Amino acid sequence: MADRPPTKPPTPGTPAAPPADPDRREGDRRTDLPAAEGRKTASVRQAIRSELEGDEPPTTPGDAPRTRGPDAPPVVQMEDVSLAFENPILEHITLAANEGETVVLVGESGTGKSTALKLILRLLVPDAGKVLIDGDDITNLSFEEALKVRQKMGMVFQGAALFDSMSVFENIAYPLREHTQMSEDEIAGRVREKLQFVDLEPDRVMDQMPAELSGGMRKRVGIARGMANNPQIMLYDEPTSGLDPLTTGTITRLIMKLQRELGVTSVVVSHDIRSAFRMASKVALLHERRISFFGTPEEMTASEDKYIQDFLGGL
Amino acid sequence: MAVSGTGFAPYGLDRSFPAPDRTRLPAFFTRLNDAAKSKVLTLQEYFVLAGKSLRFIFARPFYAQDVIQQMDEIGVKSLGIVLLTGLFTGMVLALQSSVQLKTFGATMYIGNLVSASMIRELGPVLAGLMVAGRVGSGIAAQLGSMRVTEQIDALNTLGTDPIKKLVTPRVLAALIMLPVLTIINDFVGIIGGNIIASLVVGLPASQYWRTVWDQIANDGFVFRYVPNDFIQGITKPFVFGGLISITACYFGLGTTGGTEGVGQATTKTVVTSSILILVIDYFITQLLLSVLSYG
Ligand SMILES: Nc1ncnc2c1ncn2[C@@H]1O[C@H](COP(=O)(O)OP(=O)(O)OP(=O)(O)O)[C@@H](O)[C@H]1O
Ligand SMILES: [Mg+2]
Repeated sequence: MADRPPTKPPTPGTPAAPPADPDRREGDRRTDLPAAEGRKTASVRQAIRSELEGDEPPTTPGDAPRTRGPDAPPVVQMEDVSLAFENPILEHITLAANEGETVVLVGESGTGKSTALKLILRLLVPDAGKVLIDGDDITNLSFEEALKVRQKMGMVFQGAALFDSMSVFENIAYPLREHTQMSEDEIAGRVREKLQFVDLEPDRVMDQMPAELSGGMRKRVGIARGMANNPQIMLYDEPTSGLDPLTTGTITRLIMKLQRELGVTSVVVSHDIRSAFRMASKVALLHERRISFFGTPEEMTASEDKYIQDFLGGL
Repeated sequence: MAVSGTGFAPYGLDRSFPAPDRTRLPAFFTRLNDAAKSKVLTLQEYFVLAGKSLRFIFARPFYAQDVIQQMDEIGVKSLGIVLLTGLFTGMVLALQSSVQLKTFGATMYIGNLVSASMIRELGPVLAGLMVAGRVGSGIAAQLGSMRVTEQIDALNTLGTDPIKKLVTPRVLAALIMLPVLTIINDFVGIIGGNIIASLVVGLPASQYWRTVWDQIANDGFVFRYVPNDFIQGITKPFVFGGLISITACYFGLGTTGGTEGVGQATTKTVVTSSILILVIDYFITQLLLSVLSYG
């Protein structure tokens, strides 16, 4: 959040802040996983609150490189965007993600969350309003220009969307082969690095075909492919849906790790309020075609709004 | 009207039609207007897809490996059915014409009939129909399932033009392989005719092959050495190759509505390209007969 100053100067090589909540900060290590998940079953709401209180805001990306000044425009911005297919889907959507922030978009099924991500990627063009990436309006770009802009972004699709005619290795190497001059060795190194980042054993999965992977593995390969090019913006479409709590925890931590270590700006679509609150700098609630709430998780839990309370209550 | 609702997004076109102003026109006219526009858009999209995919043949990056893979898929793997259709078509042609020619005592002209029909018409059309059924449906199903599993979106997201990566290699491979398949089809058909001519009519092979060549030579030449029949016989499959592959990619990329949509895309591809082959065959023949100087 722009209004929240960094609490301490970034120290290279160390995480942003001492772990106030061991579950949260040590989260990148898988060893603490079962305990971490188990502890929160008593009262989820309570857990969220205490988690929030104890937390360093995830918007302070520690040693992540900050490349832009404080007045820089938001990295991802939707301004009064409307879109209709046969029926209106989105109306007057306005939201913004500043550099290093994670904006979580929540809402009921079928409200147009995936559609919003496709608007950001310019896979769709809005009927009205503007979408800005790094302050540049992308609504009127030509197709070729749009291909260029998309290289700044990594997308994790709802169903992973791995190319099923290619092996896991080729899938992750694809963006590298397409857009970089990297040698085969460098590509292999990068693919391994990304697979390790998503907690997969390179030697085990690299030569497998997507059809041979489990759902959680596909999602993780999807994340690895999305970030292969080291994009500055990551978009995730329900990265944790349909996964067991342990894998959900792993993926949530992974997204936080990306943001913390690399300062990546993210927009995450999620049904999972608990993991949403763990990683969000801001939450946007999509309800009846509009953004009915946009603010920090704290503000959201504090809200008196009936729908928001119902939505959060439905944990 | 949103971009992908009209199928525009699949082909990466910019929206050139503004959203209809629904407030001013009565609902009925708006609907009529939309319907008319979507028909025009569909046709326009088809030609834009065709234009783009052909233009990309000459534009970097070249996906050479994809082209080779598709040539294998379209050409080599269709060899079996093309050999079978060719052989039996030639045989039945010879059989039918032997009955017909016997009434005039002219059975030695079987070769003329078989070669003219095979090279000018049946070779190209049958190879086209076979490939439309086998390859067209395959392409549509593959691209259709890539569409519904968001793999096309993923390609776009990773900065690749799906037309360049998926459509152009298939179109190029079909443009090359369909004439090759047709030549094989023709040749096998004429051999089939030879078999029947010698088995049923008792015509010696040398006689048969002489009449085959007589027919080709009689139909005239362009540039003195290229037989008119060959021009017809190669132009047609070339056009059919483009037609089948572009139609299949068009319906495949435009798939909506999940797995059911994939099935519909395949069906539409086979029906549309088969009909187009027969219709366009007529017009090419008409055109070539007036351009080439026959007899
Ligand atoms: N290409 C399209 N053509 C027509 N309608 C579409 C298209 N894409 C999405 N829709 C419609 O837009 C609405 C929103 O779809 P979207 O996939 O964005 O929902 P979502 O919020 O992501 O839902 P979920 O949480 O189930 O993934 C749905 O009613 C869907 O039917
Ligand atoms: Mg969705």
